Amino acid sequence: MRNIIGIDVGGTFTDAVLISGAQVIKKGKIPTEQDNLLITILNALDFLYLSDLKTIDQITVSTTLITNAILQKRLPKVELILFPGSGMKLSSLPWPAQYQTFSGELDYRGRKVISPNKNEWRQLAKDLQHNSPKPLVAIISKFSHRNNVFEKQLAAYLEKEIPDISIALGSEWGQSNFYRRSLTTYLNLASTGLASDFALKLKKAVLERGSKAPIRVLKADGGVLPLEKIRPVESIYSGPAASVLGALAQNNPKESYIVVDVGGTTTDIGLVLSGSPLISSHGAQIGPFLTNIRSLAVRSISVGGDSAVILNNEKVILASYRLGPAYCLGGNNATPTDAMCYLDLINYGSYTKSEEALANLLPENKQEKRFIKQIAELILNNMAEQIGTAIEQLLLEWKTEPAYKVWEVLHQKENYKFYIQLSGGGASGIASALEQRMQTKTILTDSSAVSNAIGAAMAKPTFSWTLNLDTYLSRYRIEETGEQGEWNGSKKPHGEVELFLKELAQDQAEKMGIEASTLQKEPFDYFPLVEGYQTVGQIIRGAIHVKPGVTGRIKG
Amino acid sequence: MKKTGIIFFPAFDWSLGESHPEREERLLYTQEQIFEEGVMDLPQIKQYSPNVADLFEVLRTQAIFPSPEEHNLDAHLIAVGSSLILGKAIMAKEIDNGFSLVRPPGHHSGATVWGNRGFCTLNNEAILVNHLRANYGIKRIAIIDTDVHHGDGTQDIFYYDPNVLCISIHQDGRTLYPGTGFIDEKGGPNAWDTILNIPLAPGVGDESILYTIENWVLPKVEQFKPDLIINSAGQDNHFTDPLASMNVSAQGYGKITELIKPDLAVLEGGYSIQGALPYINLAILLSLAGEDYSGIIEPQKPQRQEIGGQAFRSFLSNIKRQHDNIKPSWVIKKDQSLPAGDWIHLERNIFYDTDYFNEHRKDYIRKCNHCGGTVLVISERLPTFLKAALVRIPFEACDVCEQSGYDLVELYKKTEKTVLLQNQLKNEVHFWKDSREVRLFEPKNQTT
Repeated sequence: MRNIIGIDVGGTFTDAVLISGAQVIKKGKIPTEQDNLLITILNALDFLYLSDLKTIDQITVSTTLITNAILQKRLPKVELILFPGSGMKLSSLPWPAQYQTFSGELDYRGRKVISPNKNEWRQLAKDLQHNSPKPLVAIISKFSHRNNVFEKQLAAYLEKEIPDISIALGSEWGQSNFYRRSLTTYLNLASTGLASDFALKLKKAVLERGSKAPIRVLKADGGVLPLEKIRPVESIYSGPAASVLGALAQNNPKESYIVVDVGGTTTDIGLVLSGSPLISSHGAQIGPFLTNIRSLAVRSISVGGDSAVILNNEKVILASYRLGPAYCLGGNNATPTDAMCYLDLINYGSYTKSEEALANLLPENKQEKRFIKQIAELILNNMAEQIGTAIEQLLLEWKTEPAYKVWEVLHQKENYKFYIQLSGGGASGIASALEQRMQTKTILTDSSAVSNAIGAAMAKPTFSWTLNLDTYLSRYRIEETGEQGEWNGSKKPHGEVELFLKELAQDQAEKMGIEASTLQKEPFDYFPLVEGYQTVGQIIRGAIHVKPGVTGRIKG
Repeated sequence: MKKTGIIFFPAFDWSLGESHPEREERLLYTQEQIFEEGVMDLPQIKQYSPNVADLFEVLRTQAIFPSPEEHNLDAHLIAVGSSLILGKAIMAKEIDNGFSLVRPPGHHSGATVWGNRGFCTLNNEAILVNHLRANYGIKRIAIIDTDVHHGDGTQDIFYYDPNVLCISIHQDGRTLYPGTGFIDEKGGPNAWDTILNIPLAPGVGDESILYTIENWVLPKVEQFKPDLIINSAGQDNHFTDPLASMNVSAQGYGKITELIKPDLAVLEGGYSIQGALPYINLAILLSLAGEDYSGIIEPQKPQRQEIGGQAFRSFLSNIKRQHDNIKPSWVIKKDQSLPAGDWIHLERNIFYDTDYFNEHRKDYIRKCNHCGGTVLVISERLPTFLKAALVRIPFEACDVCEQSGYDLVELYKKTEKTVLLQNQLKNEVHFWKDSREVRLFEPKNQTT
């Protein structure tokens, strides 16, 4: 029987579970210490197993370490070097980081249009040597995902000139979108130091507690990677992914439902279609940074069980912030939790206190039972309305995903019948208001309060290999790994190219500890390349995925 | 900065043949370019997703003969549906303008359709125009066609319609497909001077095309006072286009867009899929969104000889003078079987280059001082002798014209195998085969 641990660091609380086989053995919520996430995680570990960590086979963590560092602007300076070529002006988009631009241009197939100017490189090396002994430099060229030649050449030059330099290349993030690729490369390089320091300390602390269990980190797309292999910025927004995975681990494999995870000040919403989480067609956004990070399609809204209730002209407003715990739990402010407690929808908190909190919201002449009940319902309806609107937005995003093929448009989105899978601290309290708002049933599981931690613990490794092959230029690229190589096969391959990608994926999956049998191939697209009415080659796009999911189901 | 809607539908799984210019690869590099630039991340850009248009929308504007189910319209209906989605978004004020960056194109597809011609089967812009008129009370619309080929299909659809101004600037029909679009094609009897064709000599570049727009197109549009402007944004005036011989650049197209200020631009032709399309599409999109497009420089340089300067200006003022002097002359059909009134008769052949056959058309237009006039089209697909009739009661038809439309239907139901009634006045479409009405779509669509 495998013993696995899942820890999900939330804004207010950290969820922790110990799972043995398909049973939750121990679960709990520990307060999050925002300025010391390492301690928080260790506290969670200690809570789960004070005595014996030896028998633990695996620890998975979903942490806000990098998210917080980015949002709180606690990252070191990175030199951002761009080869923008011609096209849209860089100033058309908001750049939340300073950059320098270099000459040199590639086209959309990665063909060289204008060569770089080596004088600019020499000047850069001089400036860097002058400014800092160990500079961090991110180099991104437009269309580097088609050809990384400029990035590689400049990196090689700088490494020779400045031995202690740390360089990241945009082509390591092989998806299109120069703007997002630049910002992703920038953020990842900036957070590498913080992440590796954290990884080192966490490993040491776990070891000191007598465990050699491998530590995994949850990603925004619901996948996991070993602590030492993850690209730090991929760990942003793993919380909502944990909610979705937690739901997967507690539902039938083929069902379709909306996941609603009610936290202290945030509610996360996700979508599961026939057992598969919906993946966003855009990369994740973090603060002002738009990235290429693949993430699940989720909505996070600033409302939760601890949201402060404010009265404005006799209208109930739920603030986007928290003023401490709920009144019924010893706090100083009315919250939705008080409304839930007063209406007997949750089994914690002091009823008298909750009554007091709600009565305080009313004018003195109206502080009687029926008005208090009314305002409690009003608070929960208000919360359900916000969640309902966000659900509708997410469903709309799903229904209006872009489509680029006739086939995709003709096969309209099936009419799924969704129910709502609720989790999080306030789940039971919001259930009936939400049922009413959405006119659909809600489901709660036994462990719904620590659903996120279950999701983290049970997450499967995911990966994708998306191929772009230009047989005329004899070049292939893999989006997710940034790998670029020479194609020695036929100019008009068919089965050959699918086999090529399959073998490449199988080989790399094995190295990542992913079972080859879980690889799923997407239909390949073949574009004949025509020049002067002659077919001279093909551009081929295809992908193999290991989709996000969980390793098993929790027994209720 | 303008809120700009875009539908990008490259139809990556549809072509007219592996090495045909209208093939899967056509918008591949455009996708690479606009996605790599991060255009979709501009805060004012809103991406919409495509959808299939109802057949009703098509038949209100175009007669699909011998009947719609004998054609594979899937890809075409998505291109049409995409334009409709952006049209609706403009009407709902979600966006200030839009770009329907879709395949397949449509501007060679006319009032009657027996097949594909000039790579077009359904006319995206025309169907949209009538959708907006039928559903939003829009009265007057101008279509400006900046494709290098004459927008003959669009012209055909609105030739008798006084409330749609069709302007087409193109390479002279004596040197390029479809071989029409001369200055004497100025509109039908009740719609004289609502068609403007400006045939240009090969070799025209940015300077001359912009001069033409500023000095002829824009004054004409201003005089017409349209409620809405639609741009058939073909991109084959580019100096690298393999099918035509012009000299316009990507930035030139950006400037054209800036001058025309279309509410909606719809992609038409343009077959320099590597040398031009990625750059022109980007320029049009940025221009619509009010962004700087001056950084867009295509890698190739113009090689063709350019016609410009004073030589061009005198050429243009010369054809404009000729154009202004052309007066209408009509043949009135004396035929006892036609309902009361003067019926103008026009006859011609239309060539379907994709499938290589001719259509023979006889058009009859009721001369009317009160409305656009009811239209009867007798169409014959050669050499099969398959025949069909189209009766069109126009938007805002007068009582007499409306009644004459019903009379024509009764008459031709008996004699023609296929009859289509486009009752634009009542926003209804009816289709008869062997004098029995056939339902081609759900009746609910009649009122949407």
